[in-house]
Amino acid sequence: MAQNYLTMPGVTEKKKIKINYPLIFLLLPGLMVFLLFTIYPIVKLLIMSFFDWQLGLEQKSVFVGFKNYLQVITDPICRKAIANTFVYALVTVPSQIVLGLCVAVLIHSTKRGKITFRVLYYLPVITSWVIAALVFKYIFNNEGFLNYLLCDLLQLTENYIPWLDRPATGLFVAELLGIWKGIGWNMVVFLAALQGVPVELYEAASIDGSGKIKQFFYITLPSIKNTILFALVMLSIGAFNVFTSIQLMTGGHPAHQTEVALTWMYYKAFAARDFGYAAAFSYILAMIITLITMMLFKYFPNDHTRRIEKLT
Amino acid sequence: MKTAKKYKLLVYLILIFGVVITSTPMLYLISTSLRPNGSLYEYPPKLWPDKLTFENYRYVLFKVDFYRSFLNSLFVAITTVLLAAFIASSLAFCLARFDFPGKNLLFAAIMATMIIPGMTLIIPQFELAVTFKLVNKLGGLIPFYIAWVIPFSTFMIKGYIEGIPADFDEAIYMDGGNAFTVYRTIILPLASPSIAAVSIFNFLTVWEEYPWALTVLNDLEKRTLPITISGFFGQHNFTLWGYVFAMSVISLLPVIICFLFFQKYFISGLSSGAINH
Repeated sequence: MAQNYLTMPGVTEKKKIKINYPLIFLLLPGLMVFLLFTIYPIVKLLIMSFFDWQLGLEQKSVFVGFKNYLQVITDPICRKAIANTFVYALVTVPSQIVLGLCVAVLIHSTKRGKITFRVLYYLPVITSWVIAALVFKYIFNNEGFLNYLLCDLLQLTENYIPWLDRPATGLFVAELLGIWKGIGWNMVVFLAALQGVPVELYEAASIDGSGKIKQFFYITLPSIKNTILFALVMLSIGAFNVFTSIQLMTGGHPAHQTEVALTWMYYKAFAARDFGYAAAFSYILAMIITLITMMLFKYFPNDHTRRIEKLT
Repeated sequence: MKTAKKYKLLVYLILIFGVVITSTPMLYLISTSLRPNGSLYEYPPKLWPDKLTFENYRYVLFKVDFYRSFLNSLFVAITTVLLAAFIASSLAFCLARFDFPGKNLLFAAIMATMIIPGMTLIIPQFELAVTFKLVNKLGGLIPFYIAWVIPFSTFMIKGYIEGIPADFDEAIYMDGGNAFTVYRTIILPLASPSIAAVSIFNFLTVWEEYPWALTVLNDLEKRTLPITISGFFGQHNFTLWGYVFAMSVISLLPVIICFLFFQKYFISGLSSGAINH
């Protein structure tokens, strides 16, 4: 469909290239913003990662080769931060998909109240990370409501649990927040996919006498496989973007044990002012997430939907 | 038929139970914003206070310069959304309809930048902000926010434009129009649903943006909402949760209103992204 209007038709015969100025006028703003504020920083970051970078003092920055990368790889806290990020992803991504899909299937099966439920389940998604983090911090505080509920009211625990002051529970609260905030998005995405599954398939299955659960695994799941892959990719990327919740709830404490990749990068850059290290770490991080995305696409053959399309 | 009815009832019960669980944090936020500040650590804590008061709202609205943060956020969000809508839609139009050298490379680069966490670029972007003297300026947020939202916006709008028949363009070219005429008379009106959907997402993204604003803004009177709300912690020895949550509720209002009004666009925007893949 795309046609070549950069050179006007007819003009090329005279071997004279006439530039399509309106096109350039349309292309330039986006191109400039993209090149200057995204591509240039990517290149600059690579350069920084090989220097003992002094912010704003380019001439004083010393070239150090791979020293920053070595430091990143051998740093135990960095490893902890990456491990925490992986744990966060492994806990939140499947939970969000499963819970979001469950809610979507249930809403899809109802006749009344679809829109109301959709709105109510979507509200956590539009709540900002800052506000969500503060509310969770308040609930999981030592003197917060949850400890009162668990300890004093239900007497399930003997003492108040310092949720946010311990590494494992601190991360757990952040994961809980991530899942809580993500269910609605998955629900909407899966609802749209469910609406695309041909009703005839279910009708045929019902005639054959297969139950609802069997239908879910043999019709619904294969039909929405592409959407699951889409969610998997988007959520994995999202898990590597986690920052605000950790920053505001635990701040990486105690002793950097609840640090995730981006909070550690931010700390190294703007608190420790070790910009070279942070740049090298950023590059390693970007490479990890790119690899994960590529692997997801590779090991997730999406030919199932095509097969179903052929059937119908 | 009895089992079918029971099954339906069960579905509704599960759904309502889920709503109760997921909305508890929000209800707690609202209830805390409505109780007097002194009783925040009362024992036993209550999910809903006995006595409701607007004391926190009064304080936040009239005693501190909270309104300024609200206006700052509004200014940054609206400017970013409008500029991004034009820039992304024209870029999407070029990518969808024309061939030019480096086009495939440009599109691949745009897609690739959607994978990388935006925050990893914060150091060189901060240096860029220093160079352009954009640090500690409200307007300094905008170009970076635009750059941030352009890849996703362009990708979404491009997909939509490709669904618009090129015959319309042809008619304009026949009449002697140029690419700009086509963009103005065909693409902008016909692609407006996708531009609207993308703009709503962009508004939310900018409205709640935290790390970049935290890094760039210093002065109290230049802060945006997320910075003011989270920064209220450091200012006092003990956190005045009532004030913090009253501010939170006020800052959520535009988002919720926006969501309820444009619900359709939210859903269509998300769905088309999910199904195109």
